[in-house]
Amino acid sequence: MDFAGFLITQCLNALSQGALLFFLAVGLTLIFGIMRIVNFAHGAFFMLGAYVGYSAVHLTGDFWAALILAPLAVAAAGAAFELGILRRLYGRDGGAFLMVTFGLTLVLADLIRLTWGVAALEVPAPASLSGVVFILGEPFPIYRLFLVAAGGVVAFGGWQFLERTRLGLLIRATSQNAEMVHALGTDIRLVRSTVFGIGCGLAGIGGVLAAPLVTASLGMGPNAVIDTFVIVIIGGMGSFAGSVIGALLVAFVQVFGTYYFPDLALAFMYLIMVTVLVIRPGGLLGKEA
Amino acid sequence: MTIRLGLLAAVLLLALAPLGLPIYAMTLLTEALILGLFAMSLDLMVGYTRLLSFGHAAAYGLGAYAAGNLLLHTAIPLVFAVVLAALLSGVVAIGVGWVCTLATGVSFSMLTLAFAQLLYAVAFKWTAVTGASDGLAGIPRSAGPFGMTAFQGKTGFYYLVLIFLLLAFVLCRALVNSPFGAVLRGIRENESKTRALGYNTRAYKVAVVAIAYGLGGLAGALYAPFAGFANTELLYWLFSGQVLIMVIVGGAGTLIGPILGAGFFLLVQQYLSVYTDSWALFFGLVFIAFVLFVPQGIWGLATARLGRAGRR
Amino acid sequence: MALLELDGLTRRFGGIVAVDRVTMRVAEGEVRAVIGPNGAGKSTLFNLITGVLRPTSGEARFAGERLTGLAAQRICQRGISRTFQLTALFPDMTARENARLAAQARHPRRWQPCAGGALFAAAGRRADAALERLRLTRLADRPAGMLSHGDQRLLELAMALAQEPRLLLLDEPTQGLSVEETEEAVATLHGLLADLRMTVLLVEHDMEVVFRLAHKITVLHRGRVIADGTPETVRADPDVQAAYLGGFA
Repeated sequence: MDFAGFLITQCLNALSQGALLFFLAVGLTLIFGIMRIVNFAHGAFFMLGAYVGYSAVHLTGDFWAALILAPLAVAAAGAAFELGILRRLYGRDGGAFLMVTFGLTLVLADLIRLTWGVAALEVPAPASLSGVVFILGEPFPIYRLFLVAAGGVVAFGGWQFLERTRLGLLIRATSQNAEMVHALGTDIRLVRSTVFGIGCGLAGIGGVLAAPLVTASLGMGPNAVIDTFVIVIIGGMGSFAGSVIGALLVAFVQVFGTYYFPDLALAFMYLIMVTVLVIRPGGLLGKEA
Repeated sequence: MTIRLGLLAAVLLLALAPLGLPIYAMTLLTEALILGLFAMSLDLMVGYTRLLSFGHAAAYGLGAYAAGNLLLHTAIPLVFAVVLAALLSGVVAIGVGWVCTLATGVSFSMLTLAFAQLLYAVAFKWTAVTGASDGLAGIPRSAGPFGMTAFQGKTGFYYLVLIFLLLAFVLCRALVNSPFGAVLRGIRENESKTRALGYNTRAYKVAVVAIAYGLGGLAGALYAPFAGFANTELLYWLFSGQVLIMVIVGGAGTLIGPILGAGFFLLVQQYLSVYTDSWALFFGLVFIAFVLFVPQGIWGLATARLGRAGRR
Repeated sequence: MALLELDGLTRRFGGIVAVDRVTMRVAEGEVRAVIGPNGAGKSTLFNLITGVLRPTSGEARFAGERLTGLAAQRICQRGISRTFQLTALFPDMTARENARLAAQARHPRRWQPCAGGALFAAAGRRADAALERLRLTRLADRPAGMLSHGDQRLLELAMALAQEPRLLLLDEPTQGLSVEETEEAVATLHGLLADLRMTVLLVEHDMEVVFRLAHKITVLHRGRVIADGTPETVRADPDVQAAYLGGFA
């Protein structure tokens, strides 16, 4: 295997990984941007997306249907949670939000275990996307190419959505000044529920897309949340562009890092997190919380 | 005054317990005391300094594996092994605390979680020390070269745990009522003002993390010879969550509350697991409910009713 | 030798010069007011002196020793105490506990992890004395969060005094106070400062307050000192009048 082939393959790997991370990060950053809370349960919603996706695929026999249905279900669950529980906490300190979303993580983890059992689940990629394509003589999974494309489409779409639609404008406005938007007559509470739902839904999409690659399992949650958190710290909490950049950065470090030092993936994440926090000492949230 | 008497009575009851309780109840009680110690150690961080840790299992696991190794591979007697393991936890925690306090708020919490996850991953790989996924088994309650057999039996070990818990409690009480404790309280209520007054708040935070991990490590170090084994479950994030639940539900910032929370947790877990497998779900829901509606916890509620401020 | 000496103190934020080569001498026992339109750099100046910000260039000296470059805690330990524009207190602690924690900060063994009876007593005495000076003794056992805004401002002042500072930095002490509260506060402050012969650096917007309390005034405009002298001199200074009439809020 020549170096060019290796490089391209690994770069594509990193891009596909980055796409998955992007789905997670953009959801978390969106929630933080609008609501100023860190959704600790974000990893759990990701996991939920994978498991619901598994069931959806088995129910409908169609991966694409699952890709639509599962995130919607996850988004609904997220919005319901915000409505029922998070709403009661506004005005309390950040610790309360963290604890409650942590509690949700526990609840979801157990609900998932009850519903689907402890064994890791295999979600097959759709037939149209399975198999490999040859790049410079190296085989590369088509599914991963699909991920890169999906990530790119959503990144572009999200950007356009924020720039050109009314809801996008509303979201951007609210993230800058919530009171002002409220004064203008918009129902902030509705915006919040919607945004939390969308954020969780995005995590859910990430979960469904990730399922064929990693096989859904109960360990996904906490590591996903750490990865995502590192990304949004790097890119900037509440910044859409930041979530793209951060996701790509982390993905490249992870992919090339695990190639050269296979056992140290988690240590790498920790190291990145610590480094970022040293360069920006309070953490981004340290200043805003 | 009533509370003081009540506590004395409780200690007396605990001291006399082996005389009246059947063996399975004693085993449960021993485990409750160990978890109580664990929860109380976290309270120093969460309740008194508002340093929310999602990775306290790291302390427990460190202590358990350290004690396990000492007891399995050396002739060090039980009590010394436990103390050494606790010290090890505390020392490691200085470094951990130093890193984690680089950040505040959510970032701090994430760093504690990340460290625990890291330790969890390491434990799977470092077979020589941790036995990887099998863990360490057959951990003895060594009498050591001087034949200290007093704590080897079930009852003897129970008293060992009780003594350690009481000592730790006295230590913690002294700490939170001291000038050091007053600074912790300042950090809890307004860290930037505390800094503006001239305190090096970072140093205090690192110190309280070290102490909390040391005592948490003590609990883990007691667990290893109690159960006879140590495994990666002790480092798992779910366990970190459970001890946090014990603190909040029991009553953060009271030292006693978390001990009660641990007992409550264990009791309910035992009772529920007869009927269902999902006591974790139950506790997650209880946790959320308490954070929402009873943030002062059971003990906070009880002491408020008795006419005294819940926090000291 | 002046107690506080600032030499060419400058602080840039990117392209903006918030504090521009400020040079000042504050003598011991002097009450110096720092005034200027909004954005003139007053708070930044305080932050530079207390070590919260590092200067881009220039130096600050306190009792002849360098301040610049020291950590904020060390600067505070040298005997400089400060109050803030937005009241900063410990809301769940009583007024007395607030002041006591402030006094404790100056004790050499403030970090003591056990006992502490003697230390608390000593700090408590300083706290009580400070509360007494500000006539807050009757509120000593009330939680700070439950005090009126005016009393909270006074409590913050009491906390600063409990530290027995050599230099006191007051950042808009009458901010948010009603007319009566301001009257009371100024009367209390006037008596207090005269009694203790405390060296004070005072940022204020309320000119009445400034003229009643200050021995000398330094006027900042766009980060630079444009006038420096007694209240009468400053009042008459044409540059000062221009700056204020120039339309800055």
